[in-house]
Amino acid sequence: MTDFGAIDALLASARQEAVLPPAGERRALREGLNLSRPQLAQALNVSPSTVGGWESGRDPSGEVREKYAYFLEGAKAKLAAETADAVGDAGDEESQDEVRADADADADADAADAFHSAAEPEAGQDDDLDVLAVPQPCVLCGQPACHQVAGFPQHLDPAECAAPGSPRPTVPAASVPAPSESARPSADRGGQGVRIVAAGRRVRPADAEPDLIHRAVTEALAQHAGDVEAASAALLKRAIPDAMALLDHTRRGGRYDIVAHPWLPDILRKQSARGADQVWEARPKWTRPELPPGEHAVTALDVNGAYLSALKTHLPIGQLEHSVGDDHDRRRAGVHLITPPDWEHDAYLPNPIGNRDEPGPLWVTEPTLRLLLRLAGPKYGLCDPPRIHESWTSGATEQLLEKFRVALKDARDRAIADDDEVTLEYVKAMYAKFVSTLGESNYNRELYRTDWMHLIRSQAFANLWWKAHRAYDEGLMVVRAMGTDELHVTGDWRAVFAEGRGVTEVKVKDTYTVGTDGPLSRAGTVIHPSSTGRDDA
Amino acid sequence: MPERNIEFGRYGAGGIKGHQAVARQLDALAGYIATPVTARRGLLARLHYLTRTDHARAAARAAGLTVTARTLRAWLQGTRSPSRKNLELVERAYRTVRRENVARHLTARLNREGRGTRVEIHPLNQSQVDRPRQRVVEFRTLNVRRWDRIVAAWAADDDRALDDAWIDQVVDLGSQWGQYEYVTNVGFAA
Repeated sequence: MTDFGAIDALLASARQEAVLPPAGERRALREGLNLSRPQLAQALNVSPSTVGGWESGRDPSGEVREKYAYFLEGAKAKLAAETADAVGDAGDEESQDEVRADADADADADAADAFHSAAEPEAGQDDDLDVLAVPQPCVLCGQPACHQVAGFPQHLDPAECAAPGSPRPTVPAASVPAPSESARPSADRGGQGVRIVAAGRRVRPADAEPDLIHRAVTEALAQHAGDVEAASAALLKRAIPDAMALLDHTRRGGRYDIVAHPWLPDILRKQSARGADQVWEARPKWTRPELPPGEHAVTALDVNGAYLSALKTHLPIGQLEHSVGDDHDRRRAGVHLITPPDWEHDAYLPNPIGNRDEPGPLWVTEPTLRLLLRLAGPKYGLCDPPRIHESWTSGATEQLLEKFRVALKDARDRAIADDDEVTLEYVKAMYAKFVSTLGESNYNRELYRTDWMHLIRSQAFANLWWKAHRAYDEGLMVVRAMGTDELHVTGDWRAVFAEGRGVTEVKVKDTYTVGTDGPLSRAGTVIHPSSTGRDDA
Repeated sequence: MPERNIEFGRYGAGGIKGHQAVARQLDALAGYIATPVTARRGLLARLHYLTRTDHARAAARAAGLTVTARTLRAWLQGTRSPSRKNLELVERAYRTVRRENVARHLTARLNREGRGTRVEIHPLNQSQVDRPRQRVVEFRTLNVRRWDRIVAAWAADDDRALDDAWIDQVVDLGSQWGQYEYVTNVGFAA
């Protein structure tokens, strides 16, 4: 009965599908043998993209599935053998046996055995082995081979197989990729990753940001063979170009370009070579008119790094534009022509617009205007709001000099912690000279931002005003507020301000007593004659 | 807008030609005597500058100050004062000589041994243009490496040559350079 014969043949041909390793492992196995996708594809007589599809999750079927399973099995065995070799020569046979035991060895066991058994090259008794008349490409390395095993042309000696085209990988056992991890080597390494930043067309580690200040100081010290005074003098000379270089460095990758030479309105231009422009910076110069009767111990406090802190202010980015009208846009900054409000608290708090003699409208800067608006607000209610007549403003940001400021502040803090006078003086020269040469200075021709110069100075004065207000608010008596950074108070100021050399702290410049007879005079006895001389403004 | 503008300002844009802004900035860098020539102090300063050496006197003569030595002496001593026409002559001669004297130094400063100087180009003012006709014209910067032609044309007070020299640099801004033919300001420092 031919029918039954056909059924028997069908049953005989229906075999269990070969088991393939998971998709992620397949690629690792192929790459572990240094085989390219086209090489394997050619050997299996499929297209390289098909192999790519198998490696990314699809499964082949039919005859080609068995071929692929055979390849993967062989590759796994070969890699395991290499690993075992690399790990140690001892117990070589055992580990190979283990590998074989691990291998899924129902149908292909003997074929795999024939393939990877370097120990027994004379496998002539194997019934599947044939000698090819015309060399065909080896399924494993793609080079011509003279033997075929179970219909697959291949080299019998693994050394021969790896030798010709592709050198055998001599990787140590540890770096043979573990199949499951090798697919995405960097995906799950969030914690110990390297932070990178863009650097031109490349990237570089973020930690490798060069510390320009430290490098300049080290170089200067090395150049002058450790002579501190000579190194300091040399550093002070190059403070301005160095500050500009640091500014450029900190603006790298920033959102806004620094506009260095904008057109400036006439109010920001000097009227004559030695004259001033029309902007009023609101520098405080205030002395309390009278003290209550009795003897008062006055402490002159000095704000550390006042201009350094003032670098954080709303700075106009681009060219200033004119506008008229009594409205203030908080997203813009510049200079404003205002009529200042009356100030009725001159007996115990300085006027926020400083010691102005002339009445009438005046050009003030953004920090002064914001100070006045804040004081006029519901929280303080100390004065009427100022009347704005016209403004020259531009879109503003507080972040323009922020990285620059933080770099300088960090260097300053480190220098104080290390007691490094050279760096301290250098940093101080950098920010002080930067602020003083921002405008039309011949010493710094890279930046002509007179508006920024006024704004930064005014911010320092506004900061001092707030310190005076805080002292007043906490119950101290403010005696004087003057210059950029000097505040004279009576009472227990240590409860209000921290003493130290950091930028948020204050230090004592002088202490003196004022006599019993009312009006303030410096004729009183000095308790501590100028305890600290340094002025870090 | 790859080419020069034909009718600039038709829709209300404001600005000056780029080369005029460059000349203005170069003038600022040249550092003229600030006091006007109409004041005695300014006149004396200019005359001193023009008569200090034989070389200066020859340069002043070449620049058009063709008065006799006797007249010059009289102006310097104050026995006579120049007419308004002659004041203009003095001013023009002074500016010409000053530019010529400064040009070489200024060129060297601006070329910076081939590294050039960064120039900021502030675009034209569109605030008076109708909203639909306004265009986005950005602030641009440009590194100009060769200043010789620009400064030479400025020193010779040759508007046309200066314009050509400047446009030759501005075309490096790309196909949109025509937007920067007119500007509000050109900023650079030497």
